Amino acid sequence: MESTITATKTLDVRGKICPYPDMDTMTTLKKMQKGEVLEVLLDYPLSVERIPRNLKKQGHKLLSTDHLDGPNYRLLIEAHGLK
Amino acid sequence: MTAALYGLFIGVLFGFALQRGRFCMNSAIRDTILLKDNTLLKAVSAAILTAMAGFALLELAGLIKMSPSAFFWGAHLVGGTLFGIGMVLAGGCASGVTYRVGEGVVGAMAAAVGLATAASFTVFGFLAPIKDYLQKNTKIMAGEANPTLANIFGLPHWVVAFAIVIIAVVAGVIIAGKNKEAAEAKSTASLITRIFKKGWGWLAAGIVVGLINILAFYTSTLAGRSYPLGITSGWVGIVKVLTGYEQVVDGVAKAYTLGWGDYLIIGIVLGALIAALLASEFKIRWPGWKTIGQTFGGGLLMGFGAITSGGCNVGHILSGLPQLGIGSIVGSISIVIGAWLMAYLMFVRPQTA
Repeated sequence: MESTITATKTLDVRGKICPYPDMDTMTTLKKMQKGEVLEVLLDYPLSVERIPRNLKKQGHKLLSTDHLDGPNYRLLIEAHGLK
Repeated sequence: MTAALYGLFIGVLFGFALQRGRFCMNSAIRDTILLKDNTLLKAVSAAILTAMAGFALLELAGLIKMSPSAFFWGAHLVGGTLFGIGMVLAGGCASGVTYRVGEGVVGAMAAAVGLATAASFTVFGFLAPIKDYLQKNTKIMAGEANPTLANIFGLPHWVVAFAIVIIAVVAGVIIAGKNKEAAEAKSTASLITRIFKKGWGWLAAGIVVGLINILAFYTSTLAGRSYPLGITSGWVGIVKVLTGYEQVVDGVAKAYTLGWGDYLIIGIVLGALIAALLASEFKIRWPGWKTIGQTFGGGLLMGFGAITSGGCNVGHILSGLPQLGIGSIVGSISIVIGAWLMAYLMFVRPQTA
């Protein structure tokens, strides 16, 4: 899925170990304003599945999950998009 | 083919299942307080219950003999807590760092080196006296045997094992019914894609790991080892071979050769590598020197803790709890306490401060 949304901020957690991809994403989103878009670049398979699962509980909205190449993924998340 | 090579085969299966099932016990324990996510904890529970039923059946069939962990409460408390702290620092438990070596995670490789190093020093090096002191002075037996939930009440093992499995499954079904969990959208992908390309669901992952452990107990009994899956002692075995360690058998010093549990480790790395390559998830991931230092330090704590406590997360939680050993119950609780303490200090407190 090609996304045309522009991200307000980019978080690159490639190479980071568990649970930093998740924690960094959540803490960054917490500090962002409602409606701002966070782009997360990650290569940790477990977190690619776990972050979307936990976003909802925090009130953030997953806009898209793009598979780049190999284990590299990009998530686009609207901060506080469900509040 | 020697029976020890079965370990390699089981390891490949286990490594594959760990990688596909995202079966990370560090996350399972930590996420319950950190992310309020119980998915992996449910996978671990399914693995324990599957093994509990399977081990009991194998013993009834006369194919294995239960070998519950010894109970030395002081060693479990100190070792288990240090292990729990270490695994949060290392970003993975003993099985987690082992399978991530096969995924190309450099931080996990540093943790594995730390684990193997400290574990070896605790088995036959300068840390051994601390372990021996704790184990000897706090050991409690049930008559001649290591205490279990069955023998302390004078009950047959299988009665208690099946009672726990049945109660847990019924309770699980009732809770699931009450929660009316949003049934995960049924995947339309083919079975092949789901096995080889996607992460597995928690129930499938848990049951597969439990079944592998049943097979592990049986084949390791054939190899004269008589214990289900375990990680840390296998790493020690690899260190022994690399350092040319000699052991005295019947008064003669002989070079140590790889056993079932050591082949298991090699198999796990291979299995995870195969699984990661098939799903195109293999990549050398460099996390920076600071993280390398942290995971190495975590590995050191895990190695000392696992040997002192008589088991890591796999030896005590996955393999020991299904055997109902009191030592494994105390060992497991200690790991959870250490992990929660460290997760709180590292992740929860900095956020609220």
